[in-house]
Amino acid sequence: MSHAGPSTPSRKRSRWDVDESAPQSEPAQQPQKRRSKGKSAKLSPAPEQTEPPVQPVNGTSGSAERARSSHSIFVPPRTHHPPLQPSRSVYCYERLNSIEEGSYGVVFRARDKQTGDIVALKKLKLDEEKNGFPITALREINSLMVCKHENVVGIREVVVGDTLTQVFIVMDFIEHDLKTLLTIMPQPFLQSEIKTLMLQLLSAVAHCHEKWILHRDLKTSNLLMNNRGTIKVADFGLARRYGDPVGVGGLTQLVVTLWYRAPEILLGAKEYSTAVDMWSVGCIFAELLLKEPLFQAKGEIELLSMIFKLLGPPTAHSWPDYQTLPLAKTINLPPPHPPQLRQKFPYITAAGIDLLSRLLTYDPEDRISATQALKHPYFSESPLPKHPDLFSSFPSAAAGERRRKPYESPPAPARAADYKLLTDFDS
Amino acid sequence: MSTALYPLASLEQIEKTPSREDGIPYELEEDLRAHGCKLIHEAGILLKQKQVAVATAQILFQRFWYVTSMKQFGIGDIGMGALYLASKLEECPVRMRDLINVYDLLQQRTAHTRATMIASASAPSSSSHPTKEFRYTPMSYFGSTFYDLREALVIAEMQVLKRLGFNVHVVLPYGTLVNYLRVLGLTDRTDVCTRAWGYLNDALQTPVYALYAVPTIVCAAILLTVRHLGIALPSAPENRWWELFDAEWEDLWSVCGYIMRLYRDRSIEDRTRVMGMLSKKGVRQWLDEHKTVDPQT
Repeated sequence: MSHAGPSTPSRKRSRWDVDESAPQSEPAQQPQKRRSKGKSAKLSPAPEQTEPPVQPVNGTSGSAERARSSHSIFVPPRTHHPPLQPSRSVYCYERLNSIEEGSYGVVFRARDKQTGDIVALKKLKLDEEKNGFPITALREINSLMVCKHENVVGIREVVVGDTLTQVFIVMDFIEHDLKTLLTIMPQPFLQSEIKTLMLQLLSAVAHCHEKWILHRDLKTSNLLMNNRGTIKVADFGLARRYGDPVGVGGLTQLVVTLWYRAPEILLGAKEYSTAVDMWSVGCIFAELLLKEPLFQAKGEIELLSMIFKLLGPPTAHSWPDYQTLPLAKTINLPPPHPPQLRQKFPYITAAGIDLLSRLLTYDPEDRISATQALKHPYFSESPLPKHPDLFSSFPSAAAGERRRKPYESPPAPARAADYKLLTDFDS
Repeated sequence: MSTALYPLASLEQIEKTPSREDGIPYELEEDLRAHGCKLIHEAGILLKQKQVAVATAQILFQRFWYVTSMKQFGIGDIGMGALYLASKLEECPVRMRDLINVYDLLQQRTAHTRATMIASASAPSSSSHPTKEFRYTPMSYFGSTFYDLREALVIAEMQVLKRLGFNVHVVLPYGTLVNYLRVLGLTDRTDVCTRAWGYLNDALQTPVYALYAVPTIVCAAILLTVRHLGIALPSAPENRWWELFDAEWEDLWSVCGYIMRLYRDRSIEDRTRVMGMLSKKGVRQWLDEHKTVDPQT
């Protein structure tokens, strides 16, 4: 049993060194970047770009050199692949405070004991699992690992506690969530800020869809925001891979928080796709404009009638497949009337209304995709998207910082920006 | 298909696998790995499971033995755990009880085959001992066998996850094979496609998917195929076909070696030895009996 220690300390320590030394970890990052570029290059109609080092054909003597330098970006050298690394212990982190308790996990703020980095630890609830490790948790971890992106919350590793029922996902700690921000901020976001946030959200969603992942729970409380104007899509607890043939029974309809749920799911569609996320993006867009959720319904029927009221009931033209949906027969459509979007959003430009109506399109086949939405004229008309660095910062409730009382004037000259000092003084 | 980089064993992990550090000889480890993968394969067939899940399970299984010794966990249990996990990863979960029943059957059958082989080897006049038919004895529905196996299954699944750091990203080689055969203009030759596809599947019983990138393994399968079928591909130094796919000759050759070693004949002793080591108990017993062999050499 002497060897049985699964920790094998020497290996652990060496890996830890690798983690710490910056020059070591950098080349490991590079292939990822190059890969993602390669992916987009593959989709764009210019594949010649993928082989930049075109050696002079006449130089026959350089065949040995050519063998070295001709690695395609689609086939990175073996050394770029990560090694097999067992999970570290949760004791590598120092627990600070708990942030929230979700439906199937608690989130803690913690500090990496070696690097001092502040991270978020999400503890998975595994106590009463009858079927081994829950498939939802597997999907969440896999989705996060596959969807690495500037605007997706970064997964650092998965660590384990003393027993097999303690598993924590380690993620970058982000100060705010958009939902809380929207409720506490005195003014709504400016148009230029909304454009920046929407572009970030859309590029994250486009990235996930390109990696064959559906998020299935996009909403403002799952969009985290740091103090540098960057939002990160979080909580992949309902995410799953799409594109494979779906088994008997289809995909579950028990997804997406009600207010953000697409009409095809409400009507019982057994197969749905990326369009469900785009509907949620539309609801988020509207929420940013209104500073409150668009459809605050108490139940599915109420939600449907709110949607019908805002967009006009679906017609054979706007949604040809409507009648084939399982629950369509049970719904009584109100008398036809035109969409009320302009009345609901009087201050937005025509391009803005156009983007919103393309996101909130009934027919999933017709609904705009994330890649298309990124190119929408709304983002190129005045006012242009604001640079993320120009966003204001807020005290973070998740980090236990206190908010300045509204209407409190800055205390003394020069120190006004240092809210930390201020809160220290308060307490 | 996602393109994120999948993990491969590091040089250090390849040079001294945990099992070899515990005194299990190289060849024995190779045979045990192959046998564990055969069990996964057979269980997959009995469960009518999709090949993508079976292949994923075999790759996870191979990776696992670069971070864990066979003295610590049995190849039977870990194979079962890997198949259970892979079925979830590929969105085609299996019922625990079905998987447990299937593995129980396979283990009983292995034990029976082993006993028969040993009996016939020790008593050459086999006519006096007619070989007994294999009879499967199902476990009782609420018996302790089931609960013990279920416990082992849950632990094995968790251990696979934990020791692979929850990075269970696997890329299968089939799509790449189709692409490469198309580039080489070989898709019309059914015999080429079938044979190369078969080599890729057989390679799942070797560690190569934990050691080499997919393009290398696919090139090796094509190389074996064209050599066996006598098809010439450009191989002159200035335009070697495998360089088009970023594979190195040494790696190709090594993968071919791993695959061809699967087909060599094993002696009855070798085969019965492996069949007796499905559990860690069997491995430990063997290690105790062979203590005189110094593992350090």
